[in-house]
Amino acid sequence: AMSFLKRFPPPADGVRHQQPDTEALLAGRSLGSGTLYIAESRLSWLENSGVGFSLDYPTISLHAVSRDLSAYPREHLYVMVNAKFEEEAKEAPMTEGEEDDSDDDVEPIAEFRFVPSDKSALEAMFSAMCECQALHPDPDDEDSDNDYEGDEYDVEARELEQGDIPSFYTYEEGLSHLTAEGQATLERLEGMLAQSVSTQYNMAGVRTEDSIREFE
Amino acid sequence: MEVSHSVKERTISENSLVILLQGLCGRVTTVELRDESAATGRVTSVDAFMNVRLAEVTFTDRQGTVSQLDELFVTGRNIRYVRIPDEVDIRATIEKQLQAIHRVRYFGGRDKGRREFLHTK
Repeated sequence: AMSFLKRFPPPADGVRHQQPDTEALLAGRSLGSGTLYIAESRLSWLENSGVGFSLDYPTISLHAVSRDLSAYPREHLYVMVNAKFEEEAKEAPMTEGEEDDSDDDVEPIAEFRFVPSDKSALEAMFSAMCECQALHPDPDDEDSDNDYEGDEYDVEARELEQGDIPSFYTYEEGLSHLTAEGQATLERLEGMLAQSVSTQYNMAGVRTEDSIREFE
Repeated sequence: MEVSHSVKERTISENSLVILLQGLCGRVTTVELRDESAATGRVTSVDAFMNVRLAEVTFTDRQGTVSQLDELFVTGRNIRYVRIPDEVDIRATIEKQLQAIHRVRYFGGRDKGRREFLHTK
């Protein structure tokens, strides 16, 4: 018996694609026919009897559409998982274990194949999985400096600073962003303001088209 | 490949060499995985997390068995190397990708701000 199979309700939220009449195989052994649910939170497959399993996207190393019948006789969605499933451990032939590097213990691999009765659905299944995978970036990624959250790196602020697109600055900030042209314009405007009677306009704020028109 | 719609992803790309990989879209490349399998195919897309999508793939598994896959998606964390084809001009590729990102960022028009203040009456 496949002991990792459990009974659970089909996912209700964030299901990007659902494919009924899909056979699931693990390491070449059929688990039966059921429905594959490609949801944003996890990948689930439920046999028609109601038992099945789920895979978390961070454990999925790759997935692919296989139509090469010489490699495998039926068109399917191939999913490689970085985890051991009980059946996998029992099934692995000893000769393979001898030939592999010892990192077989470090890198467990489980190979699932999902064979839909409707082969034309493979593209949609593949794409849905790509979308869902992208929602689960690697939290353990220490190598790359992708920590752009928090005080150190405010992405929105950075994007605003890099452009000359009109933005709202405080007076001091704004001055430092002015080009020579902008500086000249500012001086001209300030000169006009100094001559004007009204002192209620806030010079250190937004310069809207309305306020400029008034002074021209 | 389209520039990402995500501000965060554009920033990540702009600040790492993943931008080079994004410039390889449309080219045939070999991706070597951590488990020593390899996939050679045409790059369809690369996101900021180095997830790579390939089409028309020749896949060699870690036992050396070769098979064809129509499409393959491999997660960034499982990639060991990406082979940059010899004919790729690395600097030009990076610059082109940066330009694409800047076109998206400054879509409203870079000079719009200045022109508003250039009115003379």
